[in-house]
Amino acid sequence: MSRADLAAGKVIRLSLLFRVQHLLLTVLLTVLAVTGFALMYHENSLAQWIIRMEGGVHNRGIVHRVAAVLLMANLVYHVFYMLLSREGKPEMRQLFIGRQDIDDFFQSLRYNLGTAKEYPRFGRYGYKEKFQYWGASAGIVLISLTGIMLWAEEFSMVFFPKVVLDLAIVIHGYQGLLAFAVLFLWHLYNVHLHPSVFPMNPSWITGKVSAEWLREEHPLEYEKLKGEGLL
Amino acid sequence: MMRPFLSLAVAVAAAVLFLTVPAGAATPGVGECMDCHGDRTIEKSLPNGQTVSLYVDLQAYRSSIHGGSSCVTCHVDAKAPHEKLKKVSCGKCHGDAEKSYAGSSHGKLRAKGVTDVPGCDGCHGAHDIRKPKDPAARTFRLNIVATCLRCHKDRAIEQKYNLPDQKVMAAYEQSVHGMASKKSGLTGSAVCVDCHGNHAILPGDQPRSATHRQNIPTMCGKCHPGILEQYEKSVHGKGMRAGIAESPVCTDCHGEHTIAKVGDPSSSVSSRNIPKTCSGCHEKEGISTRYALPKNRFSSYMDSFHGIAVEYGMTKAANCSSCHGVHDILPSADPASTVNKANLPKTCGKCHPNAGPNFAKGDVHVEISPKKAMGVFAVRLFYTIFIAALVILFALHVGLELYGRWSRRKENAPGGKEGQS
Repeated sequence: MSRADLAAGKVIRLSLLFRVQHLLLTVLLTVLAVTGFALMYHENSLAQWIIRMEGGVHNRGIVHRVAAVLLMANLVYHVFYMLLSREGKPEMRQLFIGRQDIDDFFQSLRYNLGTAKEYPRFGRYGYKEKFQYWGASAGIVLISLTGIMLWAEEFSMVFFPKVVLDLAIVIHGYQGLLAFAVLFLWHLYNVHLHPSVFPMNPSWITGKVSAEWLREEHPLEYEKLKGEGLL
Repeated sequence: MMRPFLSLAVAVAAAVLFLTVPAGAATPGVGECMDCHGDRTIEKSLPNGQTVSLYVDLQAYRSSIHGGSSCVTCHVDAKAPHEKLKKVSCGKCHGDAEKSYAGSSHGKLRAKGVTDVPGCDGCHGAHDIRKPKDPAARTFRLNIVATCLRCHKDRAIEQKYNLPDQKVMAAYEQSVHGMASKKSGLTGSAVCVDCHGNHAILPGDQPRSATHRQNIPTMCGKCHPGILEQYEKSVHGKGMRAGIAESPVCTDCHGEHTIAKVGDPSSSVSSRNIPKTCSGCHEKEGISTRYALPKNRFSSYMDSFHGIAVEYGMTKAANCSSCHGVHDILPSADPASTVNKANLPKTCGKCHPNAGPNFAKGDVHVEISPKKAMGVFAVRLFYTIFIAALVILFALHVGLELYGRWSRRKENAPGGKEGQS
């Protein structure tokens, strides 16, 4: 953190590498959703228009697979980065879900209902962020596996009866829908419309948040940074 | 002494007599007929005020198939000069043709005195009749379409006799048969008479018509015998021969005047259109019920990757005929059927070499219902409920958060409950 940042009360929350990973994820998931749902809802006239715009089913497939390969590369890179890098390892530790997160969840419900005095005090990541992170990760792994099965259909046919591939199609599609619902409704709400960040949490672009926001939303993290003399 | 003189005198007298007797008294020769009919302006008036040319092109007559005969061979009552002649009877020589013509739509109307349907001359011409093999003949294979269309492209005639409209006729010219004869000049390609017959032409709804449903396979088989052989063995061919009228014949899949090559995207049997063509019957409730066929074959295909790919122009993807066969379609229960369980690995293997017996387990057409495809149904149901539940929980969580903020702000507001703007 630079002096200027500290003077402006800014705290780095996402390093450049994480922002690049996040941006890639945003772009690729959008491409995958547009190309994928067009196929899943091929009877819809908008879907048909999209497929035509993409240059037909064949080209749609190429676009979808190029995006998928990049997404999987991003995922693999992320896994290695989180397990092995100096920056990633502590991040990983703070992302594990524990008993505390479940308590936090119920405490936040009680707080909003007026039966608890205190809002839960989150560390670097609260239960919302952890749910989002692990949900998205598990989803991407599942959707990647089924996607590879369907892509390498000639290979899959050696091992699986057709019904397995039929299941893979359904899982792939609905897992996509699930991811879309989580990202579009939950994630976009939390980073854009939530009263604490409206109109936008800028950290996905600048990487920084205000110290004030951190103190409000992640008090344990704020205190830790303060204790380390970083604030 | 007298005898030679007498005979000469008789001969001269006979000659004089023959030359001076009015021509009408004996049968006239071609030259005499042409004295009048060689005049381009000769014509007669009809009661309705129209005039008809009576000119005969001697050149055309001489080069016609009948050019070696004389006028009176056909115009038997012709004298020179003469009034209105009797109708020419071609049947005098062409008895068979006349007989089958008499049973045709054209012949029946003609017999009733209708004059705007073709008699013999309507198609063959009158004085210029040539052999059908002669490229200049109106009945030469490459000229037949034009000959028929002289009347069958005429709107007034179409309406009067309730005939198919011009579009149907025009479609033939764009069809594979029409293009082969018109564009490529092939005489082997089907022209009107090959399907409809010539002298005995009848509408397709009459059992004796060449184009009646029951006669169509045999009729097409005249030129496509190999296909007919396959078709006869198929479930459709057997059904047809058993008298099941709704069992498809050639034209049900291929069309009639519109027949196009399989590779032509406009063809009803092109890979893009085949699902629609087959489902014309196979998506009908009645057909499935009557013949105890599985239902929803079309919708389940169209929802499969094959169906979507074909719909969006990937002609490589499997259509109905890729798996079920074309002219040789058999029910899946038949051991010879391409979609018999035992043959599926081979059939799938045409495109997917790795698809073995293991792959071919289970349904190919996936109907998503608990009975037909429990696994797919259950997974889809699970996801639907899971996603719906998740969305509801999100909404509740967001709502609760907003409610909490709102209620806290009210409590903390300095001006009491109404103090907030």
